[in-house]
Amino acid sequence: MRYEIRVDGQLSEALTSAFPELDHVLMSGHTVLFGHIVDEAHLYGLLARCQSLGLRVLEMRQLPE
Amino acid sequence: MIGRAGVVSAMAGFGFGFGESGSGPAVPCADPHGDPFLRTRFAVPARPATFLRRKRLADHLDQALRTPLTMVNGAAGAGKTLLVADWAEARDRPVAWLTAEAGDPRPGMFWAYLLQALRAAGVPLPVEIGCPADASRVDRTLLTRLATELAARDRPVIVVLDEYDRVSAPEIAEQLEFLLHHAAGGMRLILVTRTEPLLPLHRHRAAGDMTEIRNAELAFTPGEAAVLLGLHGLRVPAPAAEALVARTRGWAAGLRLCALAARESPDPETYLKRFEAERTAVADFLLAEVLKRQTPETQDLLLRVSVLERFCPDLANVLTERADAEGILTGLHRENAFVEDLGHAWYRLHPLFGEILRAHLRVRSPGLEPVLHRRAAQWLRRSGTLAEALGHGAAAGDWEFTAGALVDDLAIGQLFTGLRSDDLAELFSRMGPETTTPATDLVRAARALSRCDLDRGLTHLRHAERTLAGEENRAAPDGEADAATEDGPGPAATWLSCALLEALAARLTGSPGRAELAAGAAERLQETVPGHLLAKHPELTALLLAHLGSTRLWAGHFEEARAALCLVADCSGGAATALPREDSLGRLALIDYLNGWLGRAERKAMAALTVAERYGLPQSSGFGIGRLVLAAVAVDRDDLRLAQGHLDAAADARPNMRDPVTEAGRTIATARMLLARGDTRAALEATEPAVAADVASPWAAGHTALVASAAHLAEGRPEAAAELLHTVPGHQAVCAVGEARAQLVAGRPRAALDLLDRLGPESHAGPAVTVRALLVRAEAAAAAGDSVAVRRFVAQALREARRERLRRPFAEAGGWLRPLLDTAPLRGLAAGWLTPGPPPAGLDERPPVVEELSGRERDVLRRLAQLMSTEEIAADLCVSVNTVKTHLKSVFRKLSVNRRNDAVRRARELRLL
Repeated sequence: MRYEIRVDGQLSEALTSAFPELDHVLMSGHTVLFGHIVDEAHLYGLLARCQSLGLRVLEMRQLPE
Repeated sequence: MIGRAGVVSAMAGFGFGFGESGSGPAVPCADPHGDPFLRTRFAVPARPATFLRRKRLADHLDQALRTPLTMVNGAAGAGKTLLVADWAEARDRPVAWLTAEAGDPRPGMFWAYLLQALRAAGVPLPVEIGCPADASRVDRTLLTRLATELAARDRPVIVVLDEYDRVSAPEIAEQLEFLLHHAAGGMRLILVTRTEPLLPLHRHRAAGDMTEIRNAELAFTPGEAAVLLGLHGLRVPAPAAEALVARTRGWAAGLRLCALAARESPDPETYLKRFEAERTAVADFLLAEVLKRQTPETQDLLLRVSVLERFCPDLANVLTERADAEGILTGLHRENAFVEDLGHAWYRLHPLFGEILRAHLRVRSPGLEPVLHRRAAQWLRRSGTLAEALGHGAAAGDWEFTAGALVDDLAIGQLFTGLRSDDLAELFSRMGPETTTPATDLVRAARALSRCDLDRGLTHLRHAERTLAGEENRAAPDGEADAATEDGPGPAATWLSCALLEALAARLTGSPGRAELAAGAAERLQETVPGHLLAKHPELTALLLAHLGSTRLWAGHFEEARAALCLVADCSGGAATALPREDSLGRLALIDYLNGWLGRAERKAMAALTVAERYGLPQSSGFGIGRLVLAAVAVDRDDLRLAQGHLDAAADARPNMRDPVTEAGRTIATARMLLARGDTRAALEATEPAVAADVASPWAAGHTALVASAAHLAEGRPEAAAELLHTVPGHQAVCAVGEARAQLVAGRPRAALDLLDRLGPESHAGPAVTVRALLVRAEAAAAAGDSVAVRRFVAQALREARRERLRRPFAEAGGWLRPLLDTAPLRGLAAGWLTPGPPPAGLDERPPVVEELSGRERDVLRRLAQLMSTEEIAADLCVSVNTVKTHLKSVFRKLSVNRRNDAVRRARELRLL
């Protein structure tokens, strides 16, 4: 399944590299991380990673395949 | 074969006490597997000089004193921990503080640490509460004992669980809820967490017994932000403070970093304005800003220590390969930048910054991480915290080091027993097949053997032994092969680990010769390894002796087996040796049963179950023979329902390892129960051996023959029955009695009596054998028409059987006996336990109470005697109905009864009321 996670602010290279399995695109005032997600455990793991890096999740949604 | 004296001297040198009845150390100041508990986990974090106490939050937190549950819930860096730490320090009594471990602690480990946190805070907890010995589970009864202890306190104990979001196991939440409920106001639990815990919060909210401080409340107001910046020497006007709070959403970590970055800049106010306009993620931006303002040495140090959970200056120096860590860390802490002081010169990175710094490290120095892990592992190995050294060794992927550290520390037994075993199994499951040193082979062998994969286990073990021998031959010219150096015990530790696995393999395959060889080698090696390592790992010797004893038992050498097993059963060592102790007590119970002493067997088997319960041993981890002995004892007492219950429980246990002794025990209990039910065919089928053994066991063969002979007798072939038992090796009393009975049925009373006469008193046979022998004599006398002798023999049999409630032999004896039991004086001897009727006065037929009742259990029992209902008792004692039920269950178990009336009667008999 594919997901996108929109977080507040533009991420530095160091922070986007903390999500090596996802692609990202910087927008005005936020960053969209997107890509293939293995299962629910992976999804929750990504959310926990966002939290531990101090990122604010604005939106998260499943993308059509 | 090593004799008793040799084993005793081997054990005595390693801190094994005698007569300590396995109660463990009186004041456990080290955790069960030997590593010192990390003091830093129980330390209330120190507040930096720039900490701002906010009265509105402290006042709200004061409500925690009145509600059982408090939750402080907010984002990383919201200031939760410092808020609670500051509040906790202001209490007039110590607060039990536990910072949850990284990597999702499992229930057993969690509770072991929580118990230790309570003790560290000066909460007196009796040793009887026990301690989990398995990382993955905790026994419900332990929680009940803890709850009872807390409920009896005058003032509730305050427990803070920091970083509770690291605990994701739903069981732990459920167990905390259980404790909270049953501690009945004896505990105030404060959870500090980033995520919503899995406790039933809605119920607590609805009942109004919960204090809740959430992210919005933790956020700084513009006024507070201005004061905080003031503490950092920055004066900001109100509109700037408002803008800053809007940009950071009042986030404490953001404000703190902002202050640090602005202070370093030439014009703080302009800097703050620029930050407002920035569109980057707050933490990311601010951290990069603060980091780039540090000296290159400081930046380098911060990035490198980000691979560590906690560090001291010396360890940081090892990672940076410089010597300036102490000054840098003191400075960083004074500045309140990134590092927190854990006391005793240990520090940690604030978790949020640690994560971000690690991300920076990976970008700036790819490939450095494993190197840092390896250096940390080597330092930790020297400084003596094995568990952390293993963790970093594994993170570095350096399996030669990691397996080597485990083996050199003599810690290989921890793969089988103790709190660490699951974690170690998980850690080494990541080890690939590439590295082949003796130590990695031994770890592979241990893992295979613990899964009962004998072929694979022995292949790895042989490979390790060949490599070791090869290394020694090459090193021999220098004469340094056996030298234990200061750095490590040398090859002796590796050989000793080989001996342990050899003994285990011998036990699993029923090879007494190999077990003795391994034990002999181990005894010699124990002389050459450092004594402090053996003292640190009592499980190694305990496991070795348990394997040796069990193999001797299989071979029928009961006395030698007992010598080894008693040493293990009596040793202290708490959770680390709980598994071998339970194992050994179960084997000792089997020996008593096989010798015909039911009461002794029952007491030892119950003691084994008590150890398993107190330390929360999973049923799958050991060999679990205690239940089988209880089943066999119940059959001899003609209580087939109880026997079936024990057999079912034993079948549910599904132990990981199966050894021939356990399987033979299962066979005996099952077949004897089927015989008692009259199902001879099924009994015969049950005696098919389930586990292959290298050497035949005389008693296992004897009992198989007894079952087969019973089948022959039942089908009218006494000759065949006698012949079968005659060929059993080893002159076993129980077989001789069986053969005598077959001879009698075959019409040869003379031959029967000859067999019995040859049984000397040296056979140490207990009532289960002697009573059967007396009944054969009585039947022979009956056939000869000597009614006086018949009565004498039956009376003696009844007297010997009565104490043990040994009923089965009288049922087996046949129809001639029944009318006799209805005549005086035999009627009086049989009444009340064998035949209906009032029991003779003063006869205490049950076993004594195995375990003392607790104060609370006596309270419940006294009210039970006053015919109060469960609800009334609960109301009277101010506890919940469930708590009363839990106490009742434990009272029933301790008194060996099943009903309330029986419990009261039994308690009166024992003068407990």
